[in-house]
Amino acid sequence: MGKVKIKNLKKSFGDLEVLKDINLEVKEQEVICIIGASGSGKSTLLRCINALEDASSGTVEVDGNDITRADGNINKYRQDIGMVFQQFNLFPHMTVLKNISFAPVALKLKTKAEAEETALKLLRRVDLEEKANVYPEQLSGGQQQRVAIARALAMNPDVMLFDEPTSALDPEMVGEVLNVMKQLAKDGMTMIVVTHEMGFAREVADRVIFIDEGFIVEEGPPSEIFGNPKNQRTINFLNKVL
Amino acid sequence: MNILTLVVQYWPRLIAGLGLTIQITIISLILAGILGMVFGLLSVSKRKTLRAIALVYVDIVRGTPLLVQAFFIYFGIPMALGIQLDPVVSGVITLSLNAGGYLAEIVRGGIESISKGQMEAARSLGLPYGMAMRSVILPQAIRTMTPALINQCIITLKDTSLLSVISVTELTQTGRLIIANNYRSFEVWLIVAVMYFVIIMILSKISKRIERKMSYGKSKN
Repeated sequence: MGKVKIKNLKKSFGDLEVLKDINLEVKEQEVICIIGASGSGKSTLLRCINALEDASSGTVEVDGNDITRADGNINKYRQDIGMVFQQFNLFPHMTVLKNISFAPVALKLKTKAEAEETALKLLRRVDLEEKANVYPEQLSGGQQQRVAIARALAMNPDVMLFDEPTSALDPEMVGEVLNVMKQLAKDGMTMIVVTHEMGFAREVADRVIFIDEGFIVEEGPPSEIFGNPKNQRTINFLNKVL
Repeated sequence: MNILTLVVQYWPRLIAGLGLTIQITIISLILAGILGMVFGLLSVSKRKTLRAIALVYVDIVRGTPLLVQAFFIYFGIPMALGIQLDPVVSGVITLSLNAGGYLAEIVRGGIESISKGQMEAARSLGLPYGMAMRSVILPQAIRTMTPALINQCIITLKDTSLLSVISVTELTQTGRLIIANNYRSFEVWLIVAVMYFVIIMILSKISKRIERKMSYGKSKN
Protein backbone atom coordinates (compact mmCIF):
# COMPACT_ATOMS: atom_id res chain seq x y z
CA MET A 1 0.00 0.00 0.00
CA GLY A 2 1.20 3.51 -0.78
CA LYS A 3 2.34 5.82 1.96
CA VAL A 4 1.27 8.85 -0.05
CA LYS A 5 -1.46 8.59 -2.67
CA ILE A 6 -2.30 11.60 -4.80
CA LYS A 7 -5.29 11.36 -7.11
CA ASN A 8 -6.41 13.90 -9.70
CA LEU A 9 -4.91 16.74 -7.71
CA LYS A 10 -5.59 20.19 -9.09
CA LYS A 11 -4.57 23.51 -7.63
CA SER A 12 -5.32 27.01 -8.89
CA PHE A 13 -4.34 30.41 -7.58
CA GLY A 14 -7.12 32.62 -8.88
CA ASP A 15 -7.17 32.07 -12.63
CA LEU A 16 -3.75 30.49 -12.68
CA GLU A 17 -3.90 26.71 -12.75
CA VAL A 18 -0.63 25.53 -11.22
CA LEU A 19 -1.34 21.83 -10.86
CA LYS A 20 -3.44 20.23 -13.59
CA ASP A 21 -4.28 16.67 -12.63
CA ILE A 22 -1.45 15.11 -10.66
CA ASN A 23 -1.49 11.38 -9.89
CA LEU A 24 1.28 9.94 -7.79
CA GLU A 25 1.81 7.08 -5.40
CA VAL A 26 4.76 6.91 -3.06
CA LYS A 27 5.58 3.63 -1.36
CA GLU A 28 6.92 3.14 2.13
CA GLN A 29 10.68 3.87 2.34
CA GLU A 30 10.70 5.20 -1.20
CA VAL A 31 12.74 8.29 -2.03
CA ILE A 32 11.16 10.46 -4.69
CA CYS A 33 12.89 13.44 -6.26
CA ILE A 34 10.73 15.98 -8.04
CA ILE A 35 12.52 18.03 -10.66
CA GLY A 36 11.35 20.75 -13.02
CA ALA A 37 11.80 24.39 -13.91
CA SER A 38 10.80 27.17 -11.49
CA GLY A 39 7.09 27.79 -11.72
CA SER A 40 6.40 24.27 -12.92
CA GLY A 41 4.32 23.55 -9.81
CA LYS A 42 6.70 21.24 -7.99
CA SER A 43 6.78 23.22 -4.73
CA THR A 44 3.01 23.67 -4.82
CA LEU A 45 2.62 19.91 -5.19
CA LEU A 46 4.81 19.35 -2.14
CA ARG A 47 2.89 21.96 -0.13
CA CYS A 48 -0.41 20.27 -0.99
CA ILE A 49 0.83 17.08 0.66
CA ASN A 50 0.72 18.67 4.15
CA ALA A 51 -2.06 21.12 3.30
CA LEU A 52 0.04 24.25 3.51
CA GLU A 53 -1.81 24.79 0.25
CA ASP A 54 -5.41 23.66 -0.02
CA ALA A 55 -6.04 21.48 -3.03
CA SER A 56 -8.63 22.88 -5.45
CA SER A 57 -9.82 19.35 -6.23
CA GLY A 58 -8.63 15.78 -6.01
CA THR A 59 -7.37 13.86 -3.00
CA VAL A 60 -4.08 13.56 -1.15
CA GLU A 61 -3.87 10.55 1.12
CA VAL A 62 -1.06 10.15 3.61
CA ASP A 63 -1.13 6.93 5.66
CA GLY A 64 -4.68 6.43 4.45
CA ASN A 65 -5.86 9.82 5.76
CA ASP A 66 -7.22 12.25 3.20
CA ILE A 67 -5.38 15.50 3.87
CA THR A 68 -7.72 17.50 1.65
CA ARG A 69 -10.70 16.59 3.85
CA ALA A 70 -8.98 16.66 7.21
CA ASP A 71 -11.34 19.15 8.87
CA GLY A 72 -10.42 19.12 12.55
CA ASN A 73 -7.72 16.50 12.16
CA ILE A 74 -5.21 18.43 10.09
CA ASN A 75 -2.92 19.17 13.05
CA LYS A 76 -2.87 15.50 13.94
CA TYR A 77 -2.11 14.44 10.36
CA ARG A 78 0.65 17.02 10.02
CA GLN A 79 2.47 15.60 13.03
CA ASP A 80 3.33 12.59 10.88
CA ILE A 81 4.51 14.64 7.90
CA GLY A 82 7.85 16.36 8.40
CA MET A 83 8.69 19.37 6.27
CA VAL A 84 11.97 21.09 5.54
CA PHE A 85 11.88 24.50 3.88
CA GLN A 86 14.17 26.31 1.51
CA GLN A 87 14.56 29.17 4.02
CA PHE A 88 15.02 26.81 7.04
CA ASN A 89 12.44 28.76 9.06
CA LEU A 90 13.99 28.00 12.41
CA PHE A 91 12.44 29.89 15.31
CA PRO A 92 14.93 32.71 16.00
CA HIS A 93 13.81 33.29 19.58
CA MET A 94 14.50 29.71 20.63
CA THR A 95 17.80 27.92 21.10
CA VAL A 96 18.64 25.03 18.80
CA LEU A 97 17.60 22.56 21.49
CA LYS A 98 14.29 24.37 22.05
CA ASN A 99 13.64 24.56 18.31
CA ILE A 100 13.77 20.78 18.17
CA SER A 101 12.11 19.90 21.47
CA PHE A 102 9.43 22.61 21.48
CA ALA A 103 6.70 21.01 19.35
CA PRO A 104 6.69 17.55 21.00
CA VAL A 105 6.43 19.22 24.41
CA ALA A 106 3.82 21.81 23.39
CA LEU A 107 1.69 19.06 21.85
CA LYS A 108 2.13 16.98 25.02
CA LEU A 109 3.65 14.05 23.14
CA LYS A 110 6.70 14.03 25.36
CA THR A 111 7.87 15.48 28.65
CA LYS A 112 10.47 18.21 28.48
CA ALA A 113 13.21 15.85 29.61
CA GLU A 114 12.27 13.19 27.05
CA ALA A 115 12.02 15.72 24.25
CA GLU A 116 15.40 17.22 25.07
CA GLU A 117 16.99 13.81 25.20
CA THR A 118 15.56 13.04 21.76
CA ALA A 119 16.67 16.45 20.52
CA LEU A 120 20.24 15.80 21.63
CA LYS A 121 20.18 12.42 19.91
CA LEU A 122 18.96 14.04 16.72
CA LEU A 123 21.60 16.75 17.00
CA ARG A 124 24.22 14.04 17.25
CA ARG A 125 22.76 12.50 14.13
CA VAL A 126 23.16 15.75 12.17
CA ASP A 127 26.53 16.31 13.82
CA LEU A 128 25.63 19.50 15.68
CA GLU A 129 25.53 18.35 19.26
CA GLU A 130 27.81 21.14 20.45
CA LYS A 131 25.35 23.76 19.11
CA ALA A 132 22.43 22.76 21.36
CA ASN A 133 22.35 25.99 23.36
CA VAL A 134 23.08 28.37 20.55
CA TYR A 135 20.53 30.58 18.77
CA PRO A 136 19.88 29.97 15.04
CA GLU A 137 21.35 33.30 13.92
CA GLN A 138 24.74 32.13 15.15
CA LEU A 139 24.72 29.15 12.79
CA SER A 140 25.69 28.94 9.14
CA GLY A 141 22.99 28.21 6.57
CA GLY A 142 24.05 24.58 6.29
CA GLN A 143 23.94 24.15 10.06
CA GLN A 144 20.53 25.83 10.27
CA GLN A 145 19.15 23.48 7.64
CA ARG A 146 20.50 20.46 9.51
CA VAL A 147 18.79 21.72 12.66
CA ALA A 148 15.60 22.16 10.65
CA ILE A 149 15.83 18.52 9.56
CA ALA A 150 16.34 17.48 13.19
CA ARG A 151 13.33 19.57 14.21
CA ALA A 152 11.14 17.81 11.67
CA LEU A 153 12.47 14.40 12.74
CA ALA A 154 11.66 15.16 16.38
CA MET A 155 7.99 14.58 15.57
CA ASN A 156 8.93 11.09 14.42
CA PRO A 157 7.25 11.55 11.04
CA ASP A 158 6.30 8.80 8.59
CA VAL A 159 7.11 10.94 5.58
CA MET A 160 9.58 13.78 5.09
CA LEU A 161 8.98 16.55 2.57
CA PHE A 162 11.91 18.66 1.40
CA ASP A 163 11.20 21.88 -0.47
CA GLU A 164 14.42 22.81 -2.28
CA PRO A 165 16.41 22.30 0.94
CA THR A 166 19.75 23.40 -0.52
CA SER A 167 18.67 26.24 -2.82
CA ALA A 168 19.30 28.99 -0.26
CA LEU A 169 22.71 27.66 0.73
CA ASP A 170 26.19 28.75 -0.22
CA PRO A 171 27.72 26.09 -2.50
CA GLU A 172 30.19 24.85 0.09
CA MET A 173 27.35 24.00 2.50
CA VAL A 174 25.19 22.01 0.12
CA GLY A 175 27.16 18.82 0.71
CA GLU A 176 26.66 18.65 4.47
CA VAL A 177 22.88 18.93 4.11
CA LEU A 178 22.70 16.40 1.28
CA ASN A 179 24.78 13.99 3.35
CA VAL A 180 22.27 14.15 6.19
CA MET A 181 19.49 13.49 3.69
CA LYS A 182 21.37 10.57 2.17
CA GLN A 183 21.79 9.03 5.59
CA LEU A 184 18.10 9.54 6.26
CA ALA A 185 17.25 7.77 2.99
CA LYS A 186 19.55 4.91 3.93
CA ASP A 187 17.79 4.60 7.28
CA GLY A 188 14.59 3.92 5.39
CA MET A 189 12.73 7.24 5.65
CA THR A 190 10.03 7.85 3.07
CA MET A 191 11.10 11.07 1.38
CA ILE A 192 9.71 13.42 -1.23
CA VAL A 193 12.34 15.93 -2.30
CA VAL A 194 11.86 18.91 -4.58
CA THR A 195 15.36 19.68 -5.73
CA HIS A 196 17.67 21.22 -8.28
CA GLU A 197 20.48 18.91 -7.19
CA MET A 198 20.51 16.47 -10.08
CA GLY A 199 23.51 14.65 -8.63
CA PHE A 200 21.55 13.93 -5.46
CA ALA A 201 18.51 12.81 -7.45
CA ARG A 202 20.63 10.49 -9.54
CA GLU A 203 22.37 8.97 -6.54
CA VAL A 204 19.65 8.73 -3.92
CA ALA A 205 16.24 8.72 -5.61
CA ASP A 206 14.35 5.53 -6.21
CA ARG A 207 12.21 7.41 -8.65
CA VAL A 208 12.57 10.78 -10.34
CA ILE A 209 9.53 12.79 -11.35
CA PHE A 210 9.72 15.53 -13.92
CA ILE A 211 6.99 18.15 -13.65
CA ASP A 212 6.25 20.74 -16.30
CA GLU A 213 3.35 23.17 -16.51
CA GLY A 214 1.39 21.40 -13.81
CA PHE A 215 1.65 17.87 -15.19
CA ILE A 216 3.88 14.93 -14.39
CA VAL A 217 5.52 14.66 -17.78
CA GLU A 218 7.79 11.75 -17.11
CA GLU A 219 8.75 9.51 -14.21
CA GLY A 220 11.04 6.59 -13.66
CA PRO A 221 14.23 5.42 -12.00
CA PRO A 222 17.03 7.98 -12.19
CA SER A 223 19.03 5.87 -14.60
CA GLU A 224 16.14 6.11 -17.07
CA ILE A 225 15.22 9.77 -16.56
CA PHE A 226 18.79 10.99 -16.70
CA GLY A 227 20.22 8.33 -19.02
CA ASN A 228 17.42 7.85 -21.49
CA PRO A 229 14.67 10.47 -21.18
CA LYS A 230 11.78 9.87 -23.57
CA ASN A 231 9.77 13.06 -23.52
CA GLN A 232 11.09 16.02 -25.51
CA ARG A 233 10.30 18.43 -22.65
CA THR A 234 12.33 16.34 -20.22
CA ILE A 235 15.21 16.27 -22.68
CA ASN A 236 15.07 20.06 -23.10
CA PHE A 237 15.00 20.63 -19.35
CA LEU A 238 17.88 18.27 -18.65
CA ASN A 239 19.93 19.84 -21.42
CA LYS A 240 19.55 23.17 -19.67
CA VAL A 241 20.43 22.03 -16.14
CA LEU A 242 23.06 19.36 -16.72
CA MET B 1 5.24 85.10 45.38
CA ASN B 2 7.80 83.22 43.33
CA ILE B 3 7.33 79.99 41.44
CA LEU B 4 8.68 77.81 44.24
CA THR B 5 6.15 79.04 46.75
CA LEU B 6 3.48 78.39 44.13
CA VAL B 7 4.73 74.83 43.77
CA VAL B 8 4.70 74.35 47.52
CA GLN B 9 1.27 75.91 47.92
CA TYR B 10 -0.41 73.81 45.22
CA TRP B 11 1.73 70.66 45.52
CA PRO B 12 -1.01 68.43 47.01
CA ARG B 13 -3.47 69.37 44.26
CA LEU B 14 -0.88 69.03 41.50
CA ILE B 15 0.18 65.60 42.77
CA ALA B 16 -3.45 64.52 43.01
CA GLY B 17 -3.92 65.67 39.41
CA LEU B 18 -0.81 63.85 38.27
CA GLY B 19 -1.95 60.77 40.19
CA LEU B 20 -5.26 60.73 38.35
CA THR B 21 -3.46 61.25 35.05
CA ILE B 22 -1.27 58.22 35.72
CA GLN B 23 -4.17 56.09 36.96
CA ILE B 24 -6.29 56.88 33.91
CA THR B 25 -3.31 56.18 31.66
CA ILE B 26 -2.56 52.81 33.22
CA ILE B 27 -6.16 51.58 33.29
CA SER B 28 -6.79 52.82 29.74
CA LEU B 29 -3.64 51.18 28.44
CA ILE B 30 -4.51 47.85 30.05
CA LEU B 31 -7.96 47.90 28.45
CA ALA B 32 -6.50 49.21 25.19
CA GLY B 33 -3.94 46.41 25.26
CA ILE B 34 -6.72 43.84 25.38
CA LEU B 35 -8.67 45.59 22.62
CA GLY B 36 -5.52 46.02 20.54
CA MET B 37 -4.56 42.37 20.86
CA VAL B 38 -8.06 41.13 20.02
CA PHE B 39 -8.59 43.43 17.03
CA GLY B 40 -4.98 43.04 15.90
CA LEU B 41 -5.45 39.26 15.78
CA LEU B 42 -8.78 39.70 13.98
CA SER B 43 -7.08 41.84 11.35
CA VAL B 44 -4.65 39.06 10.41
CA SER B 45 -7.35 36.39 10.41
CA LYS B 46 -8.02 34.31 7.32
CA ARG B 47 -11.72 35.11 7.58
CA LYS B 48 -12.89 38.15 5.70
CA THR B 49 -15.66 39.11 8.12
CA LEU B 50 -13.29 39.14 11.08
CA ARG B 51 -10.84 41.30 9.17
CA ALA B 52 -13.69 43.64 8.20
CA ILE B 53 -14.75 44.06 11.84
CA ALA B 54 -11.21 45.05 12.80
CA LEU B 55 -10.96 47.41 9.85
CA VAL B 56 -14.16 49.25 10.75
CA TYR B 57 -13.03 49.71 14.34
CA VAL B 58 -9.59 50.99 13.39
CA ASP B 59 -11.01 53.30 10.72
CA ILE B 60 -13.48 54.87 13.14
CA VAL B 61 -10.78 55.49 15.74
CA ARG B 62 -8.35 56.92 13.24
CA GLY B 63 -10.94 58.82 11.27
CA THR B 64 -12.27 60.94 14.12
CA PRO B 65 -10.51 63.34 16.51
CA LEU B 66 -9.98 62.15 20.07
CA LEU B 67 -11.75 65.26 21.36
CA VAL B 68 -14.86 64.42 19.35
CA GLN B 69 -14.70 60.84 20.63
CA ALA B 70 -14.55 62.14 24.21
CA PHE B 71 -17.55 64.47 23.68
CA PHE B 72 -19.49 61.73 21.97
CA ILE B 73 -18.93 59.27 24.82
CA TYR B 74 -19.39 61.78 27.66
CA PHE B 75 -22.26 63.90 26.29
CA GLY B 76 -23.62 62.11 23.21
CA ILE B 77 -24.21 58.55 24.30
CA PRO B 78 -25.59 59.40 27.80
CA MET B 79 -28.00 61.87 26.17
CA ALA B 80 -29.26 59.26 23.71
CA LEU B 81 -29.63 56.62 26.41
CA GLY B 82 -30.93 58.97 29.09
CA ILE B 83 -28.16 58.07 31.54
CA GLN B 84 -25.30 59.89 33.20
CA LEU B 85 -21.69 58.87 32.90
CA ASP B 86 -18.97 59.74 35.33
CA PRO B 87 -16.31 61.94 33.63
CA VAL B 88 -13.46 59.65 34.68
CA VAL B 89 -15.31 56.56 33.41
CA SER B 90 -16.08 58.31 30.12
CA GLY B 91 -12.46 59.37 29.89
CA VAL B 92 -11.17 55.85 30.44
CA ILE B 93 -13.62 54.44 27.88
CA THR B 94 -12.58 57.07 25.34
CA LEU B 95 -8.87 56.58 25.79
CA SER B 96 -9.17 52.78 25.83
CA LEU B 97 -11.12 52.68 22.59
CA ASN B 98 -8.80 55.23 21.02
CA ALA B 99 -5.49 53.67 22.02
CA GLY B 100 -6.98 50.21 21.32
CA GLY B 101 -7.41 51.16 17.68
CA TYR B 102 -3.83 52.29 17.32
CA LEU B 103 -2.53 49.29 19.24
CA ALA B 104 -4.50 46.99 16.93
CA GLU B 105 -2.60 48.47 14.02
CA ILE B 106 0.69 48.05 15.86
CA VAL B 107 -0.15 44.41 16.63
CA ARG B 108 -1.15 43.78 13.01
CA GLY B 109 2.05 45.39 11.74
CA GLY B 110 4.14 43.38 14.19
CA ILE B 111 2.58 40.06 13.19
CA GLU B 112 2.86 40.86 9.49
CA SER B 113 6.54 41.74 9.92
CA ILE B 114 7.27 38.10 10.81
CA SER B 115 8.02 36.00 7.74
CA LYS B 116 5.23 33.68 6.58
CA GLY B 117 7.66 30.79 6.83
CA GLN B 118 7.53 30.97 10.63
CA MET B 119 3.81 30.20 10.73
CA GLU B 120 4.22 27.52 8.06
CA ALA B 121 7.06 25.86 9.94
CA ALA B 122 5.05 25.85 13.15
CA ARG B 123 1.92 24.50 11.45
CA SER B 124 3.92 21.86 9.57
CA LEU B 125 4.96 20.45 12.96
CA GLY B 126 1.29 19.98 13.78
CA LEU B 127 0.83 23.00 16.04
CA PRO B 128 -2.69 24.47 15.97
CA TYR B 129 -3.01 28.07 14.74
CA GLY B 130 -3.52 29.57 18.20
CA MET B 131 -0.55 27.77 19.70
CA ALA B 132 1.68 28.75 16.77
CA MET B 133 0.56 32.35 17.11
CA ARG B 134 1.16 32.39 20.85
CA SER B 135 4.48 30.57 21.02
CA VAL B 136 6.13 31.33 17.69
CA ILE B 137 4.72 34.47 16.07
CA LEU B 138 3.78 36.78 18.95
CA PRO B 139 7.03 36.47 20.93
CA GLN B 140 8.90 37.59 17.82
CA ALA B 141 6.30 40.20 16.86
CA ILE B 142 6.36 41.80 20.31
CA ARG B 143 10.07 42.46 19.89
CA THR B 144 9.52 44.40 16.68
CA MET B 145 6.47 46.09 18.18
CA THR B 146 8.15 47.32 21.36
CA PRO B 147 9.22 50.81 20.20
CA ALA B 148 5.78 51.52 18.72
CA LEU B 149 4.06 50.16 21.86
CA ILE B 150 6.05 52.44 24.14
CA ASN B 151 5.41 55.36 21.82
CA GLN B 152 1.67 54.68 22.11
CA CYS B 153 1.93 54.61 25.92
CA ILE B 154 3.48 58.07 25.85
CA ILE B 155 0.86 59.38 23.43
CA THR B 156 -1.94 58.05 25.62
CA LEU B 157 -0.40 59.63 28.69
CA LYS B 158 -0.37 62.98 26.93
CA ASP B 159 -3.86 62.47 25.52
CA THR B 160 -5.26 62.31 29.07
CA SER B 161 -4.84 66.11 29.09
CA LEU B 162 -7.70 66.34 26.58
CA LEU B 163 -10.01 64.87 29.20
CA SER B 164 -9.85 68.25 30.96
CA VAL B 165 -12.61 69.34 28.57
CA ILE B 166 -15.01 66.83 30.09
CA SER B 167 -14.02 68.07 33.56
CA VAL B 168 -11.79 65.20 34.62
CA THR B 169 -9.52 66.74 37.23
CA GLU B 170 -6.33 65.23 35.90
CA LEU B 171 -3.16 67.29 35.78
CA THR B 172 -4.15 69.73 33.02
CA GLN B 173 -7.58 70.39 34.52
CA THR B 174 -5.93 70.89 37.90
CA GLY B 175 -3.70 73.53 36.31
CA ARG B 176 -6.72 75.28 34.82
CA LEU B 177 -8.52 75.31 38.15
CA ILE B 178 -5.49 76.73 39.95
CA ILE B 179 -5.15 79.49 37.35
CA ALA B 180 -8.84 80.33 37.76
CA ASN B 181 -7.93 81.13 41.40
CA ASN B 182 -4.68 83.03 41.05
CA TYR B 183 -4.38 84.11 37.37
CA ARG B 184 -0.72 82.98 37.31
CA SER B 185 -0.85 81.40 33.83
CA PHE B 186 2.84 81.47 33.06
CA GLU B 187 4.05 79.84 36.26
CA VAL B 188 1.29 77.26 36.55
CA TRP B 189 1.50 76.04 32.94
CA LEU B 190 5.27 75.88 33.31
CA ILE B 191 4.95 73.71 36.41
CA VAL B 192 2.38 71.47 34.72
CA ALA B 193 4.55 71.13 31.61
CA VAL B 194 7.60 70.20 33.68
CA MET B 195 5.60 67.56 35.54
CA TYR B 196 4.47 65.93 32.27
CA PHE B 197 7.99 66.19 30.92
CA VAL B 198 9.61 64.48 33.89
CA ILE B 199 7.16 61.56 33.84
CA ILE B 200 7.58 61.06 30.11
CA MET B 201 11.38 61.24 30.34
CA ILE B 202 11.33 58.56 33.01
CA LEU B 203 9.14 56.41 30.76
CA SER B 204 11.46 56.91 27.79
CA LYS B 205 14.48 55.87 29.84
CA ILE B 206 12.73 52.72 31.03
CA SER B 207 11.65 51.91 27.50
CA LYS B 208 15.20 52.24 26.15
CA ARG B 209 16.31 49.77 28.75
CA ILE B 210 13.55 47.32 27.85
CA GLU B 211 14.41 47.57 24.16
CA ARG B 212 18.04 46.80 24.85
CA LYS B 213 17.14 43.80 26.96
CA MET B 214 14.90 42.39 24.26
CA SER B 215 17.48 41.85 21.54
CA TYR B 216 17.95 38.12 21.83
CA GLY B 217 20.74 35.73 21.10
CA LYS B 218 23.50 38.23 20.64
CA SER B 219 24.49 38.55 24.27
CA LYS B 220 24.46 34.82 24.92
CA ASN B 221 27.20 32.36 24.01
